[in-house]
Amino acid sequence: MPDFDVLVLGGGPAGVNAALAASAAGLKVALFDENTAAGGQVYRAPVGAVAPLTAHQQAEQPGDTLRRELAQSAVITYFNHVVWAVTAEYRVDAAGPAGPMHCNGRALIVATGTTERIVPFDGWTTPGVIGLAAATILLKSQGILPGRSTLVAGCGPLLAAVAAKTIEGGGKVEAIADMAGLGDWGRTLPAMVSRPDLMREGFHWWHEISRAGAPILSRHTIVKVEQAHDGLRATLAPCDAAGRPVSGKRRSVVADCIAVGHGLTPSTEITRLLRAEHRYSRQAGGWIAAADQDGRTSRPRLYVAGDGAGIAGAAAASHHGTLAGLACAIDLGATDVDQLRSHVPAARQAHAKAARFGRSMAQLMALRPGHIDSIGPQTIVCRCEDVTRAEIDAACDAGARDVNQLKAWTRCGMGPCQGRTCGDVAAELLAARAHGGSRERTGCFSARTPLRPMAVEALTGDFSYDDIPILKAAPL
Amino acid sequence: MNRATPTAFDVAVLGGGVMGCTTALFLARAGMRVAVIERDALCRGASGVNAGTLTLHMTRAALVPYAIRAWDMWMNTDAWLGHGVLATAAPGLSLAFTEHEKTLLKQRAAARCKYGARIDLLDRDAALAVEPGLNPVVLQAAYCATDGFASAYLTGRAYHAALRDAGVHVFEQTPATRIDRVAGMYRVSGPDDAIRIDATRLVMAGGVWLEPLLAMLDINIPVKTLVNQLIVTERMPPVMRSVLSIANGLLSMKQFANGSVLIGGGWQGIGDRVRGGVETVPDNLIGNLRLAQHVIPALAKARVARIWLGLESETADAMPMIGALPGLPDAWVIGCVHSGYTSGPYMGKLLAQAMLGEEPELPLFDPARLVVPVEALAQPHREKTE
Amino acid sequence: MLNAETMRIDKAGRAATVWFFFDGQPASARVGESVAAALFASGMKTLRTSPRERAPRGMFCLMGSCQECLVMVDSRRVLACRTAVADGMHVEKVPEAGSDA
Repeated sequence: MPDFDVLVLGGGPAGVNAALAASAAGLKVALFDENTAAGGQVYRAPVGAVAPLTAHQQAEQPGDTLRRELAQSAVITYFNHVVWAVTAEYRVDAAGPAGPMHCNGRALIVATGTTERIVPFDGWTTPGVIGLAAATILLKSQGILPGRSTLVAGCGPLLAAVAAKTIEGGGKVEAIADMAGLGDWGRTLPAMVSRPDLMREGFHWWHEISRAGAPILSRHTIVKVEQAHDGLRATLAPCDAAGRPVSGKRRSVVADCIAVGHGLTPSTEITRLLRAEHRYSRQAGGWIAAADQDGRTSRPRLYVAGDGAGIAGAAAASHHGTLAGLACAIDLGATDVDQLRSHVPAARQAHAKAARFGRSMAQLMALRPGHIDSIGPQTIVCRCEDVTRAEIDAACDAGARDVNQLKAWTRCGMGPCQGRTCGDVAAELLAARAHGGSRERTGCFSARTPLRPMAVEALTGDFSYDDIPILKAAPL
Repeated sequence: MNRATPTAFDVAVLGGGVMGCTTALFLARAGMRVAVIERDALCRGASGVNAGTLTLHMTRAALVPYAIRAWDMWMNTDAWLGHGVLATAAPGLSLAFTEHEKTLLKQRAAARCKYGARIDLLDRDAALAVEPGLNPVVLQAAYCATDGFASAYLTGRAYHAALRDAGVHVFEQTPATRIDRVAGMYRVSGPDDAIRIDATRLVMAGGVWLEPLLAMLDINIPVKTLVNQLIVTERMPPVMRSVLSIANGLLSMKQFANGSVLIGGGWQGIGDRVRGGVETVPDNLIGNLRLAQHVIPALAKARVARIWLGLESETADAMPMIGALPGLPDAWVIGCVHSGYTSGPYMGKLLAQAMLGEEPELPLFDPARLVVPVEALAQPHREKTE
Repeated sequence: MLNAETMRIDKAGRAATVWFFFDGQPASARVGESVAAALFASGMKTLRTSPRERAPRGMFCLMGSCQECLVMVDSRRVLACRTAVADGMHVEKVPEAGSDA
C-alpha cells in the first residue's frame, strides 16, 4: 500500500502548483524540498523576521501566494529534506532534521528547476567570484550586498536584475558586461509584449542602471580575473555573436565582487537516474526529459514540470506544474476525470502564452556555440578535482569518446558536485573536439545516487551491528 | 572499418576488460595481429568500476596462488603495462565482531594459508596497533602483510594506451552479434554488419556477457550476473591505512592517497546484462554503510559522494572458466573469476601462454565442466555464408 | 538603505545580530542568514583549498550545488550556504585530505 498517490520533488512554482492540482483532484500528495519553505529559486523567501513596513497591507508577492496556498492545502510537505535516492516505482529516500526516511508513491512529479551555468575563464575560481544566481540569493533572500562595488557579467535577464537590485540596495555597479548585443535583446521584444508587467520591470531596471551611471558593455565577456590589491581585477574582451572573444580593446575593471552567469541548465539528475528518455536542446538549456506538453515522460507515471523540463520562465513553470498535476491525476484515475480533463485546455493555453516570454529569455541564455573556444588550456574546468582544459583535450586526443569515459580518464566530474558545475562544459568541449559538436554522441554524466553528497550518519541513522541484515556469506 | 572487406586477424578478443585486454597485449607482443572488440568502452562493465581491492582475504582460497602472482603484476605495471593504476601495497585485515565471525575468520585464513597465503590471526590489541581507527569492539583480525589496492577507474586508460602501443586494433562501442565459421576462420559481425572481422583464433572474454557470446558458438554455459554496489566518499583526512574486510566477506574498504574512501562488499543493486546496472537498492546501501561505519567509526562524519554499480560474472561452481572451448578449434574463453580484478592480469597472461603453445605456469580451469547440454532450445540457426 | 559597515540592506524590523566564529575569527550576522552569506559579507571569502593546485576557494553558487563552501560545524561537514548561523557557532575549515592521486 503506497504511502502517497503522488510524490512531488521540488517546491518552486512548478512543484507547488503540481502538488496543488493533484491534491485538489483528491489525491494524497507529498512535496519535498531542501529549503525551509516553498518558492524555489525564483520566489525564495527572505530570511529572518521582517515586520511589515507600513500599517497597510503590502501587496502579496507571488512567492507569498504560493506559500499561503500550499499551507492551506492538504499537501504533506517535507521541507529541509534532502532527497538522495529515487527508485522505481516510486520510492524516495531522504534525510531530514529527524534523520533518514523514505516513502513511496504511485506517481512522481519532478520539478527540480535548474542550476546556473558558468563557462570557465582564467581565474573564475578566485574567492569573490560568484554566480548571478548567487548574487540574487544574497540580494533578495539574505538582504546582503554582494560587494561595495560589483561587476556584473555574462548573459541573460539576471544581469539587469542583479545590477538593479545592487544599485537599489545602495551598492555600486562598476559595469555590466553582456555577451548579448542589442540585436539579441531586440529579438525578445515581440515576446516581451505579452508580458507588459515584466516589460515595465525591465525598463525600471534599465532606468536605475542608467541613472546610477553604470556602463553597459554589450558584446563583452570576461576573459580573466586576478586578485588585485584593491579587489578583483577582471579583463573584459569584446566578443562575437557566438561568444568568442575577438580582437579589440580589452578593458580592465576592478570590483569587490564579480557576479557572473551564462544561463541556466535544467536539473535532470532524477529523470536520468530513472532512465527516462532524454533529448538535447540548446534552446531549452541542455538535456531535458522527452515529455509531452503536459509533462508525461517516457516512463509511466513519471512527470516533469517547470524550468527543469526546459527553460520557459517562472510564470510558465506555474502553469506547467498545474498541467503535470492534472495529467497525473487523470492518469491515476482520480475521481471525476472528465472534470479534470475539462481544465486542461485552458491550462495549456495559459502555459503556452507564458512560455513565449520565458523562451525568449532562454534564447539569451543558451550556450553560445563558440563560447567554450575562449577557455584557455590551463583554465580549470572541473573545480572539484582541479581538472584543466588541457587535460580534457589530452584525454580526448588519446581516445576518450563519451563523457563518462572522459570522466574515468581525467577525474572530471568525480568530485562532490557530481558534475553539476562542469558537466555541460566538459561535454561541450568533448563534443567539439571529437564529435563535430554533436552533444548526442557525447552523452552526459551518468546520474548516480546519492543525488547530493550525504553524511554517512545521515544515511545510517541509529543502528546496532545485529540490525544489519547479513546475506549469504561470500564463497570460501 | 570498411564493411565490404573484412580484415583478417590472428586472434579476435571479444571483451575489453582486464582479462581480454591482458591476453590481447601478450599475444600482440608475441607477434600476433590482434583485434579487441568491445561493446562499450574498455574496462567499463566491471574492470574499471570495481573496488580495486588486491587482497588475499577475499580471493577464493584455490585462487590464492594466482592472486599472489597478479599482485606482483599490479605493483609493477611499469614492467608490462606501461601506465599505472596507482597500485598501493598495504596490509589487509579481515575482522570478526562476533563469535561466529571468529570461526569464519579461522576457517577462511586456514583455507588460504593452505594455498600459500601468509595470514596470521591477531587479537584485538594487535589489530588496533595495525589499524588504530578500528572500532574497539572488534574481537579478532586476520592479517595479511601483502595486500593492497588500485584505482580501478584508471584501468581503461592504461590498457587503451598499452594496446595501442602494442599495435592491437581496438574497436570500442562495437557489440558482437554473430559469429560464423567461414573458410576456416571465425567471422565476428556487429549490428547491421557495421563490423566484420575474420580471425584464426577466438578469445571469449566478455564477462557477464559470456553466456550470450558462447551461445553464438552453440555452447551453453549459464553465467550469473551479480550487480555489485560501490560507494565512494569525498576526499577526507586519513581514517584508515590498511585494506579492511569482515569475516563474512560482505565489506571491503580502503582509503586512497587522495583521501577518498571506497566501500564495497558485494551488496547487490538491481540490474542485468541486458540493461546493465539499473538502480541501487537503498536498504542495501544503508546496510553496507552501517558495516563500514561499525568498522571505522570516524566514517560516520564522512560524506558519500557517489554510488555506482559494477557487474560481476559467476559460474555454477563459482570458479573461473579459462581454457580451450570444447569442440571448436582455436577458441578459448576467460572469465568468471571471483575477485576477478585482483587476479585479472595474471589470468590473462596465463591464457596467452597456453595459446602460444607454452605450458601455462599454473593450471587453467576447464570450461567443459560447465557446459549444460543444449536441449531443444529455440536458438536462431547460425547461417554459413559463402 | 545600506548599512555600509555590515553590508546589510537594512529594512525596518531587521532580525537580531548574532556573533559566530570562523577559524577563530569573529563575524557578525543576522538571525536567519546562512553561514556562507554572513562570511561573504564579512569579507571572509576563502573557505578551503583546492585538491591539487592548493588554490584558495570559497562560496560560489550559494544554492547547495557547487559544494565549494564546505566547512566544519560541530565536527560535521556541512555546506555553509545551507547552514543557518547560530549565536556562538564555531565554524572551522575542513581538514585537508591527502595528496592528489
